[in-house]
Amino acid sequence: MRRDSRFMVFLYAGMALVPLFLFLYLVAVIAYAPAEGLMLGLAAAWMIIFGTFGSVEIYKHGRLPAEQMPLIPGQTMAKDLESERGKRPKGAEQVTVKIKRFNPDTKKFDEESYDVYEDRLATVLDTLLKIKSQHDNTLSMRYSCRMGICGSCGMVANGKPVLACETNLLSELDENKSITVEPMQGHPLLKDLVTDFDSFFEKHESVEPHLYRNDKAEQYSAEKAYRQTRKQVNEFLPYSYCIMCGLCMDACPVVNSNTEFVGPQALSQVYRYYKDSRDQGSKRRLLDADNLHGAWGCEFSGSCSKACPKGVDPASAIQLLKASIMADFGEQL
Amino acid sequence: MEILRYDIAILGSGIGGFTSAIHASHHSGSKLRIAVISKLHAMRSHSVSAEGGISGVLYHGKGDSEDLHAYDTVKGSDYLADQNAVELLVKNAPKEIKFFEHIGVPWNRGDDATIRQRAFGGMSIPRTVFAADKTGFFMMRALYDYTLQLKNVDIFHENFATAIIMNKGRAAGIFMIDLATSEMKLIEASSIIIATGGFAKVYGFTTTSHSTTGDGIALAYKAGLSLKDMEFVQFHPTGLIPSGILITEAARGEGGYLRNSDGRRFMEDYAKSHMELAPRDIISRARMTEIAKGKGVLHGESGLEHVWLDLRHLDKAKIDERLPMIKDITIKMLGIDPSKEQIPVRPVAHFTMGGINTDINGHAMLNGKKHADGIWAVGECGCVSVHGANRLGSNSLSQCAVWGRIVGIEAAKYAVSARKADKKALHMQAEEEELRIGELLDRKTGSDPYKIRKELNSVMDSNVYVYRKTSELKRAQAAVARLRKECESIVVNDKGSVFNTNLRDALEICNLVELAGVVVDGAIRRKESRGAHAMVEYPKRNDKEWMKHTIAVKKGKGISISYSPVKITKWQPEERKY
Repeated sequence: MRRDSRFMVFLYAGMALVPLFLFLYLVAVIAYAPAEGLMLGLAAAWMIIFGTFGSVEIYKHGRLPAEQMPLIPGQTMAKDLESERGKRPKGAEQVTVKIKRFNPDTKKFDEESYDVYEDRLATVLDTLLKIKSQHDNTLSMRYSCRMGICGSCGMVANGKPVLACETNLLSELDENKSITVEPMQGHPLLKDLVTDFDSFFEKHESVEPHLYRNDKAEQYSAEKAYRQTRKQVNEFLPYSYCIMCGLCMDACPVVNSNTEFVGPQALSQVYRYYKDSRDQGSKRRLLDADNLHGAWGCEFSGSCSKACPKGVDPASAIQLLKASIMADFGEQL
Repeated sequence: MEILRYDIAILGSGIGGFTSAIHASHHSGSKLRIAVISKLHAMRSHSVSAEGGISGVLYHGKGDSEDLHAYDTVKGSDYLADQNAVELLVKNAPKEIKFFEHIGVPWNRGDDATIRQRAFGGMSIPRTVFAADKTGFFMMRALYDYTLQLKNVDIFHENFATAIIMNKGRAAGIFMIDLATSEMKLIEASSIIIATGGFAKVYGFTTTSHSTTGDGIALAYKAGLSLKDMEFVQFHPTGLIPSGILITEAARGEGGYLRNSDGRRFMEDYAKSHMELAPRDIISRARMTEIAKGKGVLHGESGLEHVWLDLRHLDKAKIDERLPMIKDITIKMLGIDPSKEQIPVRPVAHFTMGGINTDINGHAMLNGKKHADGIWAVGECGCVSVHGANRLGSNSLSQCAVWGRIVGIEAAKYAVSARKADKKALHMQAEEEELRIGELLDRKTGSDPYKIRKELNSVMDSNVYVYRKTSELKRAQAAVARLRKECESIVVNDKGSVFNTNLRDALEICNLVELAGVVVDGAIRRKESRGAHAMVEYPKRNDKEWMKHTIAVKKGKGISISYSPVKITKWQPEERKY
């Protein structure tokens, strides 16, 4: 199994924090609310330990580095071969695309298989669009920008959560030159590869993802710029890349078993606004996240960060959020 | 059919749409009920793809001024922009940049904690504010997140509008299909703001997202509103081969070079002082000239000829900080690391300067003189006109932000005092529309929408590109007329009611065909070369006869064209030299 080194550093850091967290809880238990504190403390300790040792194995995929993308030398091609993006005279090969299509009438999956020719530059989305326009007009999926920034085309290809538009087709093929595409299953299914985002959007909205400001008039009329140093920007910048594609929610084992948990996407945005020096209500954010369907619902499997196509690392955001809650709690004592 | 009532209906959820929603809401003291309608999830509009930045004069002490920004814009527009509108743009842009800062956009900062600006094509001085190379994305996320707290604004995700309904020359409602269920809805509204973006998907080789199909412009046109300057389509010099994905102008703003097959920086021959930072029309023309001279490079997979964008001499840390998305895209799409290899690029359809004809406040016009009461257009779908014949990079986001506020406030003022529409007539019109969609779905045989799109794209790519010829334009005109006929018998094979994207595609494709007709018609008539419209037979700009806007109105199945004068305030036309 490939383990990326950043994740391992993170893991050991998490382990090192266990005694600190336990100690802080103990203080909280004695000084504050003995019964609830003790229960929460035990739960947190269990989660940290379980999370650290138990669930690293959940996602084991990694992106293929660019230099390993296959070039397919000497391949032959079909005559008049065309793709969605124009004629492709070089390096095309036959590929079997299997699509697990959710049927809204029977509520079951129909697996359909299509043979197409694609070259080394085709993406999974290119192929799906070609199937839709040339083989089966009834195929449904979401897509728009085709450059990995709108967040529409999250799906699962050969078991990996991906954005179809930035996933090279040929490098994802299995040994039989085939690829299986299916919808994310962490969201309710609508049709074919399309899932329902209503509850995902509600969870995002529920954490009030906007700057809390006391100067509403100035915020609106915008007479002068706020001051923010480059260092202050960098505090929240990594967490502001979220494109709301839903892949992290699909990957999260907790979200999939506990619908109350707001999940990695929303929590990463709590931390994003919490760390923004322009935000004037950070304490409120910590209080709102300080519960079991908030930050403490996370069992630290790390699968969200593995799934995120934009490197947002929600897992780290949530652990840092937990630490901030603890630190804030410490200050109150 | 479900009937919903709102004070303001905003069609489109990009930067223009959301900004106007916020300002309409604020202006009304959160009293007016506002609907934002998107055919996508609202936060996924094409505005997210804007990369390089937003223009505005933030610091006066360093040789910059609003007049200079206006002059650059007017000169860049090849003197077709309305100068009073340009003055409004440059005056308000700085404030809007601060507004976006106030709602959470992480503008790139200098060591002194102030907002930093970078160089852009056709701008005399660095005045483009940016958030890495994801400026549009960050603005969109801030707008969406901010709007969520406005309880009087309802967001309709994934509802596809099929008609803008007018009643006695006034706004009455919007008819739409809910994609998730195929349920038909009528939104009754006193004010309608159209903010649906451009229509560059008439081309196959384009930077724009699949959703950029100009639906709002086509619906407005069909409802009787006039369109302006539709023949001006901007070709961005650096579209990635073969997908057309945009490589931001900031890549050159940060110091990137363009090279031909000899490895020579060919812009030396075309724009000696600005080099790679000349305006887009000039670089795209230069590029095609180089390719015609045999200085292009053939791309194996696509069969397209291209030149090189060279970033190898740039500092790696600079690329990581200021152009991270470009790096990510070239690596993922082509396996090219821009610090090690050159990037293959070619002029690509990028922005449509033309759109719904509006006055200086974004108020839509029925024809050259009469307003369409209660209808505004903002962003790329509207033509104010600030971009004239050629838009300068980073002026489009300022335009969305500036006119977002203006039309939001105007629409809110109007909605308070608007006369009620004739409900009976409105409902009848909506029922007719429901019938039309029903008939389309019932049709068993007819034209394949995807074949129509493919042919349209190929016709436009080869005949209405950077350099245009009358003979080729005529060929395109005939082809588009034929496709328009085919659209009348278009067939939707998907008969299902859940997420029927086949139906949406068919309607979008016919919208594109409708607009392509107007583009070609305007282009054939304009016998000069101005900005993005370069005619082989008429290589010079002709101010005496052609310094005027093309106004197109639908007349039966044909197009009626007239012209309106360009507004000049301070800057008399002169020869463009860069």
